[in-house]
Amino acid sequence: MAQTPRPSVMGHTLRRVVFFMLVALTTLIALGLMATAFHNNGLSPMEFILLLLYAVLFSWICISFWTAFMGFFTILFGRDHWAISRQSGVSPDPSAPPPRTAILMPIYNEDSERVFAGLRAIHRSLAETGQLNGFDFFILSDTRDPEVWVEEELRWQDMVRALDGKGRIFYRNRPENTSRKSGNLEDFCTRWGSRYRYMIVLDADSIMKGEMLVEMVGMMERHPRVALIQTPPVPVNRESLFARILQFAGSIYGRMFTAGLNYWQLGESNYWGHNAILRVQPFLDCCGLPKLPGREPFGGEILSHDFVEAALLRRAGWDVWLAYDLEGGYEELPPTLIDYAKRDRRWCQGNLQHLRLAMSHGFNGLSRLHFLMGVMSYAASPLWLFFLIATGAEAFIQAQQRPVYFFGENWVPVWPISFTVEMTTVLLVTLTMLFLPKLLALLLLLKERRVARAYGGIINATLSVVLETVFSVLTAPVLMLFQTKFVFAILMRRAVGWPPQQRGDHMTSFGEALATHGVQTLIGIVAGVLSYRYVPAFFWWFIPVLLGLVLSIPVSILSSSIALGRKARDWGLFLTPEETEQPAVLRYLDDHLQSCEPVLPVLRETQANRFVQVLTDPYVNALHLSLLPEREPPNKRRQHYLQGLINQLEEDGPDSLNSAQKRDLITDPGTLQSLHALFWSRPPANAGLLP
Amino acid sequence: MDRGKVTAAAPLYLPEPVAAPSIEQLYSRLGMYWQALGVNDPQRVAQLSETTLQRAAAMPVMPNMDPMAQAIVAAGAVLDERLAQVLGVPEPSRALTAARAALLSGAVPDWPEALFGSVAETGPALDALRAALAEPTPEAVPHSMPTQRIESFSPLGPLRRIWLGKHQQDGGSSVAR
Repeated sequence: MAQTPRPSVMGHTLRRVVFFMLVALTTLIALGLMATAFHNNGLSPMEFILLLLYAVLFSWICISFWTAFMGFFTILFGRDHWAISRQSGVSPDPSAPPPRTAILMPIYNEDSERVFAGLRAIHRSLAETGQLNGFDFFILSDTRDPEVWVEEELRWQDMVRALDGKGRIFYRNRPENTSRKSGNLEDFCTRWGSRYRYMIVLDADSIMKGEMLVEMVGMMERHPRVALIQTPPVPVNRESLFARILQFAGSIYGRMFTAGLNYWQLGESNYWGHNAILRVQPFLDCCGLPKLPGREPFGGEILSHDFVEAALLRRAGWDVWLAYDLEGGYEELPPTLIDYAKRDRRWCQGNLQHLRLAMSHGFNGLSRLHFLMGVMSYAASPLWLFFLIATGAEAFIQAQQRPVYFFGENWVPVWPISFTVEMTTVLLVTLTMLFLPKLLALLLLLKERRVARAYGGIINATLSVVLETVFSVLTAPVLMLFQTKFVFAILMRRAVGWPPQQRGDHMTSFGEALATHGVQTLIGIVAGVLSYRYVPAFFWWFIPVLLGLVLSIPVSILSSSIALGRKARDWGLFLTPEETEQPAVLRYLDDHLQSCEPVLPVLRETQANRFVQVLTDPYVNALHLSLLPEREPPNKRRQHYLQGLINQLEEDGPDSLNSAQKRDLITDPGTLQSLHALFWSRPPANAGLLP
Repeated sequence: MDRGKVTAAAPLYLPEPVAAPSIEQLYSRLGMYWQALGVNDPQRVAQLSETTLQRAAAMPVMPNMDPMAQAIVAAGAVLDERLAQVLGVPEPSRALTAARAALLSGAVPDWPEALFGSVAETGPALDALRAALAEPTPEAVPHSMPTQRIESFSPLGPLRRIWLGKHQQDGGSSVAR
């Protein structure tokens, strides 16, 4: 189902022309200044490389800067008349049946308690709007861990019973997690998708206000050419210092950046994989993802599917919007620097794969740019590293040269021309581009006093911005080395796993920090000694990078501290509006996590071994059996394999089995029933079956 | 390894099966099992255990199962048969496993009396049971999701497209002729 392409709107085109002209002009000016400084004695190969790197990196910064700048003006003037929320659209056909929307929560070995508490908070918020009947909930589990799988089943059943959600709250666990999250969603779409007009995709830690969900559906109804509306998820709920600093940055700068993105992307926006509403039919028609030819990292399954799905929808003529001004969507951030890096490792390969897609046929220009921006999120790090090394090498070469005052036929000395002004200007322009958006965000607070109060007042917000800037300067080199390592590992075809995220707050131990940042610290010390010894002038410029690396271990440990995070909150630092005045939906989440008594008695045993429980507890066993998909009985070889596992379990207990083996045992109905009988006929001492 | 030393074998996780359990042992274990299922009335437990033993005796011997395990399987069968009977669902079936789960979830108060007691009390219990039946997913409405074509960039691509375009044009014009 393709849409006839919308005729281009002059205003849209004009905005993009202005935006890209500004990016191009700024890049050219900075490049011109740098080239003037280099061109003194002709351009050496090293200088040419430096110029090239600078051009790429500076244009990347420019896109970011001008996006923030446009966002600043959009918020300053309080409106963007082309925002999807401001367009009146068409009136929905009153004779058409009311839309049905599926709220999808794809999960993979997540903390079930948190997942279901989040869903219940969303459900409660949605119920308050009176529109609950238009929505169904799907928990789409790709969980492989048998303990978590059984826990999910119990939590789902508990939620259904507590909320009277039979026939509205669904759960399924996929037998095979083919194609990961995109395969999970595809499985939903091909089996139940056509029952719904829209689907709202969440992440395991997503929370969305009911009013927002209703408004998203309303927007889709009013805009039948729109296939996808992405909303900006605001980071919330973390307590560690690291995450609170990131939450603050994401909140105070994020709103400016998303407004800016909408300024130039308009109906050719992107999809971030969650907190978005999609029209199901075009998704079914246009978003079946192929496997890319060739080997990983650029071939094989498409890992970061969201960008590609948005591009495929755009290719088919559908609009994709970012509703930057729609409030009420939240997500949670990794709690520590190390967890943040781990998340980067998962995302990196998918984003690098986009390099190939950016050059594929058929996608429109902005989709290609989205792909390239995805690539640059990670490729920028090795490029910056290379730029720094090359700058150091160039500075060293320059330091070795003695100025020649008399050459050729000149009989008067020729004084070397100083390019300090040009180089200082280049540096200042670069720093301005990097740090001005932070100042602009503060300026917006001066205009919006109510918002300023939500950030703890203008003084606290300013102090927080200064401290956040120092923190980001310190962590930037560490992330640069992490990402460089990931990029090279992927290019060398070293496997990048897809480990589940450790989402809850926890402190980084000294051992973990040493193991993770030890080499980075060493690199910082060696680079510092070398530059101080051989290029002292460069050393002083290099100090922010060196400090970040040398201090990476203490920074990583201290920033993971929950106590420091709370203390900072008590001092009014890094406050976000969601902390100052907690939205009801987040309060519901806390309520469910802290004081919600499960309906099912079995869930009150929080420390229970769910694997043993599914074998022994008649209810847990029966529930699990009833949720297993119908399948062919195992063949002879499989029977032998399962019997081997049963024997192992009989002799050595469940701890001798790995996660996959346990899953195999509880996946086959016959085996599960046999084990239930076996455990009751010969109960192990610690199973608690006998009085 | 010093083969001269004989180490004691580690105890098994599951104790050795009792090859020929006494009737008391069977009654005792079945009693515990029925209680775990939610039957608390000692008379009902005894009656169901009796029925279970008769059912077990009628069952064919199952491989890899000791008599005690076979008796536990028989207890499940007794429950399932009764459930299938009152609900009118085939046995074995998905509906039946769902009914068993609903029954054991505690959604039907005093189900042993309702299921194995007087027929007059079955109605409300059955309503509660049906209401508690889990519905994990709605009825599937299969729909295809065609795999999209993403044509990778190749330096020869433009040439190939020109060639293919020319070829199609030739083909098209020949049809027209």
